[in-house]
Amino acid sequence: MRFSKIFSFWHSLPFFILLLFLSPILIILSSVFTDYSENWNHIYEYVLADYIMNSFILVSGVSMLVIIIGSLTAWLVTNYQFFGKRFFEWGLILPLAIPPYILAYTFTGLFDSNGTMNEIARSVLNLQQNEVLFPNIRNIYGAIIVFSFTLYPYVYLICRTAFLNQSRSMFEVGRTLGLSQASVFLKLALPLVRPSLIAGTMIVAMETLYDFGAVDHFAISTFTTGIFRTWYGMYDLTTAMQLASILLIFITFCLVIERTSRKNANYSTVGSNFKPTLVKKLDSFGSFLCFLACFVPIFIGFILPLFEILNWSLRFNAGFFDKQFFSISLNTIFLSILSAILCTFIAMTINFSIRYKNSPTIKSINPFLNIGYGVPGLILAVGIVQLFVFLDKNILNSLEGYFLTGSLFGLIFAYIIKSYALANTTYEAGYQKISQTIDDSARVLKSKGLNLLLRVHFPLLKTSFFTSILLVTSEVVKELPATLILRPFNFETLAVSTYIYASEERMVEAAAPATAIILIGLIPIFFISKMIRTSRIEKSE
Amino acid sequence: MKDILEIKNLSHAYNQGIPTIQDFSFSLKKGEIVAILGPSGIGKTTLLRIIAGLEGVTHGEVTISDKIVSNKNFLLAPEKRNLGLVVEDRALFPHLNVERNVMFGISHIKKRESLAQEYLSLFKVAELSKKYPHEISAGQQQRVALARALITNPDILLLDEPFGALDKNLKSELYTETKKIFKDKDLSVLLVTHDEEEARYFSDRIIEFRKDKIIIR
Repeated sequence: MRFSKIFSFWHSLPFFILLLFLSPILIILSSVFTDYSENWNHIYEYVLADYIMNSFILVSGVSMLVIIIGSLTAWLVTNYQFFGKRFFEWGLILPLAIPPYILAYTFTGLFDSNGTMNEIARSVLNLQQNEVLFPNIRNIYGAIIVFSFTLYPYVYLICRTAFLNQSRSMFEVGRTLGLSQASVFLKLALPLVRPSLIAGTMIVAMETLYDFGAVDHFAISTFTTGIFRTWYGMYDLTTAMQLASILLIFITFCLVIERTSRKNANYSTVGSNFKPTLVKKLDSFGSFLCFLACFVPIFIGFILPLFEILNWSLRFNAGFFDKQFFSISLNTIFLSILSAILCTFIAMTINFSIRYKNSPTIKSINPFLNIGYGVPGLILAVGIVQLFVFLDKNILNSLEGYFLTGSLFGLIFAYIIKSYALANTTYEAGYQKISQTIDDSARVLKSKGLNLLLRVHFPLLKTSFFTSILLVTSEVVKELPATLILRPFNFETLAVSTYIYASEERMVEAAAPATAIILIGLIPIFFISKMIRTSRIEKSE
Repeated sequence: MKDILEIKNLSHAYNQGIPTIQDFSFSLKKGEIVAILGPSGIGKTTLLRIIAGLEGVTHGEVTISDKIVSNKNFLLAPEKRNLGLVVEDRALFPHLNVERNVMFGISHIKKRESLAQEYLSLFKVAELSKKYPHEISAGQQQRVALARALITNPDILLLDEPFGALDKNLKSELYTETKKIFKDKDLSVLLVTHDEEEARYFSDRIIEFRKDKIIIR
C-alpha cells in the first residue's frame, strides 16, 4: 500500500480518535508505575480491604439477584401465556429509565424511619411515632436491592433473546426423559443460556462497580467512593489514580471473561430444525403467580420510586419549576445534545471509514473505540483532568491560566468517550442494512469520500443518526460521577442537582431534576420496547 | 476494431489466498457486447469488480482505453475509470426519486434535468421521474438503473446479472430494447450471467467460465 494511501484522511482518522479515547485511560494506568505516597500506605493498611470486601459483597449480591429476577421473568414471558404478558414483555425494562442513584434517593425517602412507607404504616396500623415497620435501607443490603432492581433488565433482555432462540424440541425430549416443567428450566433452559447469562451479569457487575451516587448516598465504602474521597478529601490525585488503576484492571479482567463467554455463546439451536417455543396457557393460579413474579420487579424498580418522586413533587408546591430548574435543564440539554451530535458524527465518520476503505486494520480498531463504555465515569474524569492539565501546561502554555482544565471541553470529551459505544452500535446496525452494491454503483458514478458520505450514506442512515442522538442524549443526562468532577465551577446539570439536593437531605427539592432525568431516560426504553414488540411479532409468525 | 478493454494474465485471490481467477486474458472491442457465462461462485462477478476498480489484482494487468488501470502495484479508483455498472439488485438509491437517481452521476452538468428526461424516455420510464424506487416495479427499476449507468456516457458498461430478478416475458422485452440501444450508441458492454439463453441472445461473443477451464466461443 502506498504511503499516501495509508495516511489518507479516512485511514488516519480512526487512529487519531483511538489515540484521543485511549489517552486518559493510559494516563490512569501509567500511575501504577509512579511513586506511592503515604496516603496510599494509609489506604492500603486501613481501608483498601474494606473497599475490596464491600465491592465484592455488593457485586456478588447484585449478580445473584439479577440472575434470579432477569432469567425467571424472561423465562415466564417467553414460555407462558398469563394476564399482562404483552405488557410485561417490554414493561420489565422500565426500571432502566431510573439510574441507581435516583432509586437510592427515593428508597431513602420511602423507607427511612420517617419515610413515606413508615408514615403510611403508622397511620394505617395506628402505631406510635417511634415505631418503625420497615427496616433501615441505608446499608449494603439496601444497596444490593437498589442495584438489582434497576439493573436486572440487562439480564432480562439478553435472556429473553436467548430463550426465544431455543428450540422446543429440546425441552420436549427433556420432558420425555422425566424432567418436570421446573426442571426443564433449571436443568436445560438455564444451562443453555449460560453464556448470555454471564454476559448480562457482567454488564450488571460493571455498572455496580462504576456507580458513585447510590453507594455514596448509602455511605458504603467502595472503590468509587474511595477514589472520590482520596482526591477531594486527601487532595491526592496520584493515589486516586492508583486506586482507579486497580479497579480498571479488574474491569478489564471482567470484560475479557464477558468476551470469552460471548465467543463460546454458540449454544443456540436456530437452524433448519428450529421449532419456536409453544406458549403454554396457564390456569388462574399459575397466571396469578406469573403476574406477581413479573409485577414485583417493575413495582420496586419503577412504580415505587415514581410514586415517591410524585409525592415529593406534590409537596414541593409551585416552586417545582423555578428559574434555577430551567437554567439547570438548559445546561443539561445543551451539554447532552452537543455531546450527542459530536459523538454521533464521530461514530458515523468512523463507520464510514471502515466501509469506504474496507481495511481490516481500521475494522479491528473500532471495538477498541468502544472501550469508554467499560470505564467508570469517575475514572475517566480523573484521566481527563490529568490529560488536560498536561496539555494546558505543556502545549497551550502561551495562554493565560488553564484553558482546557475545568472547562466544558473535558465534560463533553468524557461524554463522547463514554457514549461512543451506543452511537457506534446504532451505526453498525444501520450500515448492515445498506447493500454493498449501493456503494459500488455510487463509486462508479464518480461519488467518493465526503461526497459519498453526504449524498448517499447520510440520507440512508438518518434513522441511525436520530436514534444515536436520542440514546446518547439520555445516557449523558444520567451520567453523574464524570459530571460531578469535570463540570466548570458553579455549573450544574440535572444529575448534579439531584445529587446535591439528595446529599443535603433535601429530597423534596430533588424531585424536579429527578423527574426530568426519568422522563429523558424513558426515550431509549421506548426504542427497546419497540424492538421487543417487533421480535415477538416475528416469532409468532 | 480497436480494443477498449484489455486484460492480460489476470489472477486474483481474496484474503484467504484461494485463487478466484487464474491467468485470464481477454479483450473487448469498441461497440462489442461480450457475455461472461458460468455458474455461481466461479469468479464472474469478481472479474467485473476488478474491471470496475472495486477489487485489486494479485497478478497481471487491466487496461482501459490504452491506459493501465490495475496491476499488482496500482489501482485506479472506480470513479476515475469512466465505466457504467448495473447489478442484479439495481442498487438504486432509495432516498432519491427516479430522476435524481439518474442525475446522480452528472450533478456537475448544467443541463442535467433535460438529459435525464432524454435517457428516461429512451428507456420508456419518463413518466416515473418523480417516483421513488420502492414505488415502481422491478422491470422499471432495471430500466432506471440502465438509464443511470448510460447517462454518464461510459467507455464500457458492466452488467452483473442485470435481468436475473425479472420474469421471462419482461426479460425478452428488455433484451430487445436494451440491445438496440447499446448497438445504436456503439457501446462496449460486458455482461455477466449464468443464463446461457440470455448470453446467446444478448451478446456478440461468449466467454464461458468453467471450473477447470475458460472457453471462448
